[in-house]
Amino acid sequence: MEPSIEQRLHHWIEHLAHVLPAQAPIRDFVHHNTLHGFQHLPFADALAAAQALTGAQVYWPAQRFGAEYAAGRIDRDDLSAALDDQGVDGLDDEVVGGLSRRQILLAELLTDVPGGAVPALAVCRRLLGDAAPVDEAWPELARRRWDALHAGIGRQYSLRALLLRLSGEDVLESVRSILQRHLAAHLDLGMAAWSNPAGGRGFFAAWKASAALDLSWELDELPGIRDEIQHLPDEPLPLLVDELRALLPDESLWPGYLERLALELPGWSGMFLWRDQHPAGGAGHPVSMADYLAVRVFLERQLCGELIRRLTGAPLGLEELHAYYHACPAEFLVREAWHLAVLPEDLLATASALCEQTLDGREVRGWEALAPRVAVFLQADESTRWAAGLQKLAGQLALDEARLNELGRDAVNRLLDAARLSPLQRGQIWLAAYEGHYRESLFVALAANVGRQAAPAAPSAQVVMCMDDREEGTRRHLEELAPDIETFGAAGFFGVPMYWQGVDDPAPQALCPVVVTPDRLVSEQVAAGSESLLARHAQRREIRLQWRERLYQGSRRAPLAGPLLTAAAALPGLLALTASSLAPAWASLAGKRWRTQFDGRVPTVVDPGVGDGNMPGFSDDEQVERVAAFLRTIGLSASFAPLVLILGHGSGSRNNPHLSAYDCGACSGRHGGPNARVLAAMANRPAVRAGLAARGIVIPDTCHFLAAEHHTGDDSIEWYDLEQVPAALQSPCDTLLKQLAEACRRHAVERCRRLASAPSRPSPWQARRHVAGRVADLAQARPELGHATNAAAFIGRRTMSRGLFLDRRVFLISYDPGSDRDGDIVERILLAAGPVGAGIALEYYFSTVDNERFGCGSKVTHNLTGLFGVMEGADSDLRTGLPWQMVEIHEPMRLLVVVEQAPAVLSAILARQPALQELVGNAWIQLAAQDPATGSLSRYCPRRGWLPWSGRAVLPQVARSHDWFAGESGPLPPALLLGGVA
Amino acid sequence: MIEELRDVADWVWLVPALPLLAALTTGARVLLGRAAGDAGERLTARLTELAALTALLLLVLIDLAVIWHGWPGQKIVGTWFAAAHWQGRISFLLDALSLPVATLTALIGWLVVRFSATYLHRESGFQRYFIVLAMFLGGIQAVLLSGNGLLLFLGWEMCGIASFLLIAHAWQRPVATGNALFAFVTNRAGDAGLLFSLGLAAYWVGSFEWPALLAASLPLVDLRVLVLGFAVAALAKSAQLPFTPWIARALEGPTPSSAIFYGSVMVHAGVFLLLRLEPLLFHLPDVLAGLLLIGTLTAVYAWLCGLVQTDVKSALIYATVFQVSLMLVAIGLGWTTLATIHLCLHAAWRSWQFLLAPSWLQLTRDRPAPPPAWLVGRQAIYTAALQRLWLDKLGVTLLAGPTTAIARDVRALEESFIDRAIGEPGKGRSIDPERPLVCADGLPGRLLAALSLLLQRIENRLLLRGRGGAAERMLREAGRWLQTLEALLEQPRYLMMAVMATFVVIL
Repeated sequence: MEPSIEQRLHHWIEHLAHVLPAQAPIRDFVHHNTLHGFQHLPFADALAAAQALTGAQVYWPAQRFGAEYAAGRIDRDDLSAALDDQGVDGLDDEVVGGLSRRQILLAELLTDVPGGAVPALAVCRRLLGDAAPVDEAWPELARRRWDALHAGIGRQYSLRALLLRLSGEDVLESVRSILQRHLAAHLDLGMAAWSNPAGGRGFFAAWKASAALDLSWELDELPGIRDEIQHLPDEPLPLLVDELRALLPDESLWPGYLERLALELPGWSGMFLWRDQHPAGGAGHPVSMADYLAVRVFLERQLCGELIRRLTGAPLGLEELHAYYHACPAEFLVREAWHLAVLPEDLLATASALCEQTLDGREVRGWEALAPRVAVFLQADESTRWAAGLQKLAGQLALDEARLNELGRDAVNRLLDAARLSPLQRGQIWLAAYEGHYRESLFVALAANVGRQAAPAAPSAQVVMCMDDREEGTRRHLEELAPDIETFGAAGFFGVPMYWQGVDDPAPQALCPVVVTPDRLVSEQVAAGSESLLARHAQRREIRLQWRERLYQGSRRAPLAGPLLTAAAALPGLLALTASSLAPAWASLAGKRWRTQFDGRVPTVVDPGVGDGNMPGFSDDEQVERVAAFLRTIGLSASFAPLVLILGHGSGSRNNPHLSAYDCGACSGRHGGPNARVLAAMANRPAVRAGLAARGIVIPDTCHFLAAEHHTGDDSIEWYDLEQVPAALQSPCDTLLKQLAEACRRHAVERCRRLASAPSRPSPWQARRHVAGRVADLAQARPELGHATNAAAFIGRRTMSRGLFLDRRVFLISYDPGSDRDGDIVERILLAAGPVGAGIALEYYFSTVDNERFGCGSKVTHNLTGLFGVMEGADSDLRTGLPWQMVEIHEPMRLLVVVEQAPAVLSAILARQPALQELVGNAWIQLAAQDPATGSLSRYCPRRGWLPWSGRAVLPQVARSHDWFAGESGPLPPALLLGGVA
Repeated sequence: MIEELRDVADWVWLVPALPLLAALTTGARVLLGRAAGDAGERLTARLTELAALTALLLLVLIDLAVIWHGWPGQKIVGTWFAAAHWQGRISFLLDALSLPVATLTALIGWLVVRFSATYLHRESGFQRYFIVLAMFLGGIQAVLLSGNGLLLFLGWEMCGIASFLLIAHAWQRPVATGNALFAFVTNRAGDAGLLFSLGLAAYWVGSFEWPALLAASLPLVDLRVLVLGFAVAALAKSAQLPFTPWIARALEGPTPSSAIFYGSVMVHAGVFLLLRLEPLLFHLPDVLAGLLLIGTLTAVYAWLCGLVQTDVKSALIYATVFQVSLMLVAIGLGWTTLATIHLCLHAAWRSWQFLLAPSWLQLTRDRPAPPPAWLVGRQAIYTAALQRLWLDKLGVTLLAGPTTAIARDVRALEESFIDRAIGEPGKGRSIDPERPLVCADGLPGRLLAALSLLLQRIENRLLLRGRGGAAERMLREAGRWLQTLEALLEQPRYLMMAVMATFVVIL
């Protein structure tokens, strides 16, 4: 039985989730693969599909890669290897004149690199002669092009895009202006005081109620619409079907057309769909995607209908429009040439005068006279492009004019055929070469580091940090400073997925990867005997926040209190602005101090076993289970140091709507400190230790677990529960505090080298002061650079990477292959960390290669909208993805995951895990293996399987990180560090 | 020290001049290609900041001098141009109105320059932004400190142009450029009023200087017309009804520029102008009543629109317009001191609030309180508020529509008649089939061609028709005559006669 239209529509809407941005409201920004909906396809195919659908750039522009080539970040061998990777046929067969296909393709790629002599364009043009498309009479040319265009409606274009091409007028501008206010009002999470009175009945009803009263239609010379809106059905579905039928008689085109329409305002459509699919994330008003689509289709038909009427003088349907331009090929041809902008100036002026006059509603003549003159340029455009291609290629191959003439026309055509690369193939080859170059340098480093390192025999402390690429720097500096400290890396929720409620939090928040829904809750408790303090603290804090709320909201919209509040707050506001401009760090610290003084401090403790009324905490068994699993995963199940520090991380910055994009990705874009604190609290409980001992993990009584949170923005550390440290460990604990603080300061020095406004060659203290000021600065659009440098992930023992300078580019995940023969643990790690790392890397990738489509542009014109997203200015699409300031220095490449495990084990894991098969098999990440026994490296190619690596393991050696990076401001290759080895 | 401060007010011209100098320097560096890269950025930012800071310190010194030496009053720095009793002077009026507002503006300006230097780091329009910002800082100080209407007009225009350029900062977006144009054109209406009033002042009062203008004793009818022009300018700049829509469309620029232009400083320029004209206004209770009415209506309008705004910049801009309209109400009621104080406090607070607009999410936690119960369910009012009372659409329909239509007709006229009459280059057609080289188009072209044909005909007829033509004969005859004359003159007696005749003529 044919599914009903409801079912089909439901299905189409579900499909939209694959193509629209899936960004949650901005408060909960979590990194994810921008093209998540295409992840079932191989990487290159997915990118091609995405480009076909959205028109976005999916690779860096070829010139950009050309510049990297010129800078030595890609070389000829990389390109050659990339050709092999792509599986191009007959690479080493001779094509013409002693040139192999490989040489020709390389030359073709290198035409993107500036420089080199080229033969004259005229010669190339003459030689090509036949290669250019044949001359055809202009009416045929026009009809051929018009038929092709028309056939694309619903597949490649919407009607609006077609009309834009014909008339130069964009209906979308009006549609957006009309829709945007209604959409924002309906989705608003708390900006506007007043929302549509009919909002409770859904978007369609709300829009209908308001639009029927809207006088804009009259002013826009669409007077009939108001009546029509008044008499629209109450349900969106009949309207949607009617309008679609009126637009497109062919039902099979509907889903494609809806997809096109939704993608014309990807930001708003995506947010609407997200809210449709996450009803809990809303604020009362029901949100249904069908409502939105119905209104969108209605507007499309009305406004396009009006434009067609102005364009042709009659209200034509799609088929009639087809017939119309079939009958007027001259007019179409002129419009096409005008749109493509291939005309010389005088013709262009005439053409645009003609095209614009029709829209004024005047009778226009002169198409017929212009068409033949225009056709010449449309045809010439194609042949010129061919000749220019040959010209550049010949320049690269050092074929001068004489040689070209000697080769003759046939050979030249063969040459061009052999060199033919689509822009997508070109991008893919350049990308593979770019990745290959970096991969090579990492492999060299890993190979050179084999056998250099051993874990410290009796470590003074063990520090477990987040796998985050930013912590690579912290760990390296800590190890350089204190060779007897052992460090580990793990996903930053530390194996404790939970809801967390701090004493100051209004509601519990989930601290775990976004794909996990926790079923346990831990709430911060006030320390025994301090209950009265807490009551006072809560009361005073509430007073303070209420006044702040009153001030900001009241001075915005209270008619009477507003001016009074403004008057009262003016002077403090001005002082605060001056202070935070002159001494941001001091102003921020002082503000914090005063707030704390006013609220009063409350000592708190954490009991992982205590939940709240709605959700339980972790039972003893669960705690044992969690701790044991975690310690086994990171490979720390014996030889515990006296102090084990669990170090979560988070970031903070002022004046930044994308705040949570800088936080811990493994904690759903929040701070990971509470997870560290809960894990440490679990591991310190005698009952848990007993349980652990029963499972073979014996933690000596002399060992204490500490917890802290690293602020990746200003490189400060917030310590938890230090009063619980046993007296015997007080002194080692103090030492660890000092060492970690110094490591953070040195890390700040390393971060400063990438920041243009930082002092050059700062001392550790200067650097720390700089980053502290930076984070507190209201004007700072780059509080830190986030994951901008991420490029690779290592899963293995720290011995694999300790003593290597990795430039904060590598996620480091601890894993002991020795205790994991069949790969169960690494399978879990890959399943958990793979998607997180890939999500981060791919979001950065896409936001970098096309910041306009996949990213959200520059922060400076961002305007926070409805508390759920940002627009540019006050009337634009909702912008999703990462801002330009976050990706400015990013080098877009796929994550390279190197696992310390035998290739056979990894192959088996891939075979049994479809999720990993998708990521690795479809080449969304690159996988490599380092054999734990021999240290030999091999990488996985989806087409050719495991490819062993061989190369010279020679690397520059320096004493300390600082010696390698001092004075450098660009990306740095790996180096061996001689110091800091235990 | 106190004595040295006595003459510091003479240097007040530096306050608007320094930012302008900074703008010019940066502009020159950009033109010469010396402002590229991070280093160029740093120099531009430092230069602009230095200019802004020096202006601020100078104003603070002048303020300090007031304590001991009293208000400096009118300071004439120089004469720009003069013709008979017409004098365009560069003069400054430093009194209890201009000095506090100017000092506060200089402080906000300096802070915004500092803010922008960090905020716009590596933005593609960085240099452009700073040139325009510096120009604005100079312009607004000229408005505030000016001692005459002419200088005020100059500053007023600079602010207008700066505002236009910064709204269109992201010029790649059609919305931004369209809105910039909208704001610019709307403000031209106000400028027309200002120019009109200045013209009348020159005609009736004979001076642009504020003291002369404010003390002028004109018939009430004349005075009313004079003040109305200024009032229109003030209403347009301070975005009061019916001009309000432009300010809601002016939010496309970078956040700090939105803050200083529309949030805190420029939006108050209109109110400032009215405060400056206070002595004149008090003669005209009906104008005051009009201001009161417009202020009240704008307040209601802005409050209503503010209720439904869903983005932070728009929400804040309506809040700003609301309080600015309260200042207008205060002026209407005659409470000018209150209006001045409100102006200063409001500018200070809004600059903070606007600069912090990106962190609204972190600064607030609840929905704002809902509107009163009688309003909540009113769909019609809601729609009106959401569509901002259709004012901008109305403006477009009522003003742009007819203008476009006229333009279209004029263009048609030009294309069908004038162009044809005048003729266009390259369109010429040969007018005589025998002479394909002579091409002409349009009336003048045809005339010229006809003239050339005529001349050619003469040439052919007279000269070129070979030996024995009429011209040749006449020339030969003339040559003979001349030769005879020459032979006669060469004889001494005739030569002497010629010399004597010359002497007679000379004496």
